[in-house]
Amino acid sequence: MLTDHERSHLQEHIARYPEKRAGAIYTLQFLQQKYRYLPDEALAEASELCGLSATQLDELATFYTLLLRRPAGRTVVRICDSIACHLAGAPALLAEAERLTGVPLGGVSEDGSITVMPHVCLGLCDQAPAALAGERALGGLDQSSLGELLASLQTEAEG
Amino acid sequence: MELVLSRNFHLPRPPALAEYRAGGGYEALTIALGQDPEAMIEMVDKTGLRGYGGAGFPLARKWRARGANAPHPRYLVMNVDETEPGSFKDRQLLYRDPHQVVEAVLVTGFIEQADHAYVFVRGEYAEGARRLEQAVAEAREAGLVGRNILGAGFDLDIDVHLSAGRYICGEETALLNALEGRRGNPRAKPPMPFEKGLWGAPTLVHNIETLCHVPHIVSRGPDWFNGQGVNGGHGTKLFSVCGEVQRPGFWELPMGTTARELIYEHAGGPLDGQDLVAFLPGGASTAFLLPEHLDTPMQFDAVASTGSRFGTCGIIALGSATCPLDFLIGINKFFVRESCGFCTPCRDGLPYLHSLMERIEAGQGKPGDRELMLELCAKIAPNSFCAFAPGAIMPLESGLKVFADVIQEHIEHGACPYRGAH
Repeated sequence: MLTDHERSHLQEHIARYPEKRAGAIYTLQFLQQKYRYLPDEALAEASELCGLSATQLDELATFYTLLLRRPAGRTVVRICDSIACHLAGAPALLAEAERLTGVPLGGVSEDGSITVMPHVCLGLCDQAPAALAGERALGGLDQSSLGELLASLQTEAEG
Repeated sequence: MELVLSRNFHLPRPPALAEYRAGGGYEALTIALGQDPEAMIEMVDKTGLRGYGGAGFPLARKWRARGANAPHPRYLVMNVDETEPGSFKDRQLLYRDPHQVVEAVLVTGFIEQADHAYVFVRGEYAEGARRLEQAVAEAREAGLVGRNILGAGFDLDIDVHLSAGRYICGEETALLNALEGRRGNPRAKPPMPFEKGLWGAPTLVHNIETLCHVPHIVSRGPDWFNGQGVNGGHGTKLFSVCGEVQRPGFWELPMGTTARELIYEHAGGPLDGQDLVAFLPGGASTAFLLPEHLDTPMQFDAVASTGSRFGTCGIIALGSATCPLDFLIGINKFFVRESCGFCTPCRDGLPYLHSLMERIEAGQGKPGDRELMLELCAKIAPNSFCAFAPGAIMPLESGLKVFADVIQEHIEHGACPYRGAH
């Protein structure tokens, strides 16, 4: 549940726009940061703040690719598979990620640390193949650096 | 050549306010605040500066379309939703010199006599958005943003809006919906955003690179700007090359620099042992150019005369070891996923094309498949709601023609001729 402090922060942000609903994206991003994804309870909390129904918020959550309606790992790793990264081996990296995490793309690794999914062009074409680990941009990936990244994220989660 | 947009890119960190000002930063704002907006529109008109977000609409014409008498409130939106595959220039401006971005918004906001500015940043550039927010806060503290800017009686506040994904949000009407907290489906035009944009008010949406040129034009004049270009181009441009080249990267160079110079000199040419087969000149949603087009000056009109588009001028190179059909699949995969789903030709047509290409690549193509795909291309592009599907179709349609022999070979031999060849 949102704390009073968090709720007033959101209210303040929403009030910056001429219409409450314009604050919905920020509100959903904020709630996702808190819960790692957007469970029904989060939509209910956002609904109260943004003056939109849960269904209207679900329309947004299911449209925008960075909003997640299903549980995700502690770190979401988005491997770019658009053309420059496709040419530089993204399909093999995605297959390797599935093998290393032991779950299909989009799933949560058994220890809850990682979700890997393909993503559209990250604007890192000069560093292909590239990925985002959380918000951190990573370029020049190969099978071994991907393995090291996933292992370090698992260790972080344990620690 | 003098670096203009990228003059601070050599710094280890983006310059803070004091450092940016020490290099002449915000002087253009002071100059602009003392001038008549109409005179500055005239200056920009003399440069012919066009939009660098892909569509290439002349900036001064956009300003005049809205006009000086548009009702208030008026909104200015800077578009930093760069998601075009092969385009990574806007990212550099956002991450490496955020005060330049703030100054560009302020000078443009004054020219437009805007009441409020939003910078719309794609969600994947969250770190860049934070750097920009920090720059806005610093500028606000120094009296450069907010009320009575530099004592000139002009008010403008800037909000940084971090988006939550989706390529289509870069389309200006979809962007307005996204900013209003709706799904990012494009709106019907007319009304144009300059008539009824954000919350029904006059709104001008501009690409970040386009606006970053404006303060320099205001402070140094159109003749200086025009003198920076070559081969019929004006000013400088952030060019980039990626794909199958030795040194993918970006460089600020004179507008009109040839594709040959970009690909062979700056990007080091094709990968070892390969030849350049073709390239997309302006990002993923442009038509293929061939080695015979390498001497084309990279500027809007020259690229348009080849039948392709200048777009964002993010060149994507295809080398001789890669199956061109696989390249087309790689391009189309993006558009299939990013279609907003609003209209049927785009939502259903692009995946259908994709399944046909995958079938051929897997060696199960049938005679007539290529012709069927060309027919689909001809039907999807003109019958879709916005410019997304025509952009998706452009590389496919041109690829189906340019690589007709390779596709035929796949179908005749029931296998990809490149598989096992390397």
